[in-house]
Amino acid sequence: MLLDVQQLSVDIPTAQGVLHAVQGISFSVDNGETLCIVGESGCGKSLTALALMNLLPRRAIRTAGRLAFSGTELQALSAAAMNKLRGENMAMIFQEPMTSLNPVFTIGDQMTDVLRQHRRVSQREARERAIYLLTRVGIGKAETRLGQYPHQLSGGLRQRVMIAMALMCDPKLIIADEPTTALDVTVQAELLRLLLSLQEEFGMGLLLITHDLGIVSRMADNVAVMYAGQIVESGPVISIFENPLHPYTQGLMACLPTPERKRMQHLRAIPGTVPALVGQLSGCRFRGRCPYAQPICAEDVALRPYAHDHAYRCVLPPDISLANAAVTLETNP
Amino acid sequence: MLRFILRRSGSALILMVVVSFVAFMLIFAAGDPAVKLAGEAGSSADAARIRALYGFDKPIPVQFFHWIAAAVRGNFGHSLYFDQPVASILFDRLGVTLLLGLTSFIFALVLAFPLGIAAARWQNTWIDRTALVIAVVGQAMPTFWFALLLVILFSVTFPILPTSGSETWQHFVMPSIVLGYFAAPAIMRLTRSGMITALETDYIRTARAMGIAPRNVLLKYALRNALIPVVSVSAAQLGYMLAGSVVVESVFAINGAGRLAWESILRSDLPTVQALVLCFSLVYVILTFLADILNAWLDPRMRLADARTD
Repeated sequence: MLLDVQQLSVDIPTAQGVLHAVQGISFSVDNGETLCIVGESGCGKSLTALALMNLLPRRAIRTAGRLAFSGTELQALSAAAMNKLRGENMAMIFQEPMTSLNPVFTIGDQMTDVLRQHRRVSQREARERAIYLLTRVGIGKAETRLGQYPHQLSGGLRQRVMIAMALMCDPKLIIADEPTTALDVTVQAELLRLLLSLQEEFGMGLLLITHDLGIVSRMADNVAVMYAGQIVESGPVISIFENPLHPYTQGLMACLPTPERKRMQHLRAIPGTVPALVGQLSGCRFRGRCPYAQPICAEDVALRPYAHDHAYRCVLPPDISLANAAVTLETNP
Repeated sequence: MLRFILRRSGSALILMVVVSFVAFMLIFAAGDPAVKLAGEAGSSADAARIRALYGFDKPIPVQFFHWIAAAVRGNFGHSLYFDQPVASILFDRLGVTLLLGLTSFIFALVLAFPLGIAAARWQNTWIDRTALVIAVVGQAMPTFWFALLLVILFSVTFPILPTSGSETWQHFVMPSIVLGYFAAPAIMRLTRSGMITALETDYIRTARAMGIAPRNVLLKYALRNALIPVVSVSAAQLGYMLAGSVVVESVFAINGAGRLAWESILRSDLPTVQALVLCFSLVYVILTFLADILNAWLDPRMRLADARTD
C-alpha cells in the first residue's frame, strides 16, 4: 500500500466555532493506481490534499488514526523529514498554474532547485533532467524554455512545467488538486492524457482531486465521493458509475450533460446548498437536499459495504437505492 | 538588460537637466540677486555694476548655460561668505556627508532586513511585537535627543567614543547609528509586509510542496519578491540621509554638506546653496536610477515589459 489514510480529520477554529472541514475520512492509493476524490467546492477535498502534504494553513488542526506513506507514519515524522519526503517521494500539482510558479526565477532555476534540494547532483545533470522532463511533458525547445520566466508562458505551458517540476525526483505519489480546472477544454484533455501516460511510464500513484465526473470516468481506478467533509461513497470506478448508491452520487451523475439533451434545455442541478460545517454535526449531511430523506436520517450514518470495496453512507438498502438511481437518471428533464 | 539601462540613463539625464535648471533658478527666488548682493546700503548704481559683473543682465537661458557649463567643469562660482570657490568647500563637505550617509544606510539595512524578515516569519509573536516596538521608537524619537542619549552613554558614562568631529572612524559610529536608526523603520516595516504577502502566495506553497528547505523558501523564494518594493523606498531613504543629515551633523559637530547647506541658507550664500541643491538632487537622480536597475535585476517582468515597448 503506497498511501493509507485512516480517519483523517481537519478542524479549523473560527470565531463562530470549530469548522469541521474534513471528518474522519479513510482511503488508500496503491502504486500505479489512480484515486479520484470528487465533490463540489467546499467539501474538503483540497484540504485533504494539503493535510497529506502537511501544508495546511497554520490555524488548521490535522488529526488522523493512520497516515501512512510507503509504510511510514507521516504523523511521526519531524518537520525536516517531512520536508525531505515532499517533492522527493510525494509531489503536488496545484489548481492555479498562473500563480503557482515563482515570478522572479527562471523555469530552469525552479526545476533544478527541486532536484538539487533532494539529490546530490551537479547543476548540469539537474539541467539535463529538466530538459528531458520538459520535452516529455510536450514542451518544445526545452532548452530555451529553461531560461524563460513564468510570465512568458501560457497557462497550459505553466501547468506542464508544474507537472515536469513535480516529476523531477521521480516521486512515488502525485497529488493533483484540480490540475486542469483553470485551463481550456482542449488543453485539459491533452494534460489528462499526459498524466495517464506519465503514470504508465513512471508507475506512480495518483491522487486526483476534481469536481468533474467526466475526468473521473477517464482517469480513475477508484473513486471517493466527498460531501460536506465526509466520504459518502467510494469504490471502483466502474461499480460507482454503474451502481451509484448514494443519492448525492446519483444527483451528481444526473447533472452530467448527455448528448441526447436538447439545445437550451436546462442542465439539472441538485437543489439546496452545502450545510455549514461549524459546531456539532450529526446525521446525514445530505439530508437537507435529499429527495429520499426520512426521520431516521437525522441520526449518524456509517459507511455500509455493498460489493467489491464499494461502500456508501446512506440508510437506504442497495436495491431501493438502485431503483431510485434509475428514476433519478431517467427523469433527467 | 543593457537596453533597459540605456533607456533609463536617458531619462535620468533629462531629469538631471530639469533638476539643475530648478537649482539654478533658486538664485532668483529671493528677488533680484544683484540688489541683494549690493546690500542694504548699496545704491542702484552698485546693483547695476554687480548685475554686469555677475552677468545678471543677460537672458536667463544664457545665464543658465554659462552656469551649467561651468558646473560641469567643477566650477560652481565664488562663495559670497568664504571668499573662495564654492567647489573647494563643497567637495570636502560632500565627501564627509556621503561617508556618513553610506555608513548610516548600511546600519539601517543591517537593522531593518533581519528584523523585518523575522517579524514576518514569526508574525504576531513576541518577535514581531519587539520589532514593532523598535520601529516605533526609531520613528518617534527625535534624532537630536537620541544623539544626546548616545553621547551620555558612550562618551560620558563609558568614554569609548568621541563626542564630536569627523577625523577617525570612531567619530562616525554614533552619528551613523542615530541617522540609520531613523531610516530603518520604514525599510523594516516594508520588508515585513512584503515578506508576509510573499509567504502567502501560491508559489511559496509550491516551493514548500516541492520540499525546498524552509531557509531557502524564506531567504530566496520569498525574499526576492518581497524586496522589489523595498528597493525604491530604500533609495529614497538613502537620499534623505544624505540630504537631511543637518541635525546629526550639528549635534556631532561634523563638517558635512548638510550643515554647510543650513549655514549657507542663513548667510544667504546663494552660489553655495545652489551648488548644494544641485549635488543633492543629482544624488537623488542617481539613486533612483540605481534602484530602477536593481529592481529590473530582481524582477524580470519589469525589464522585459520595458523591452517590449521598444
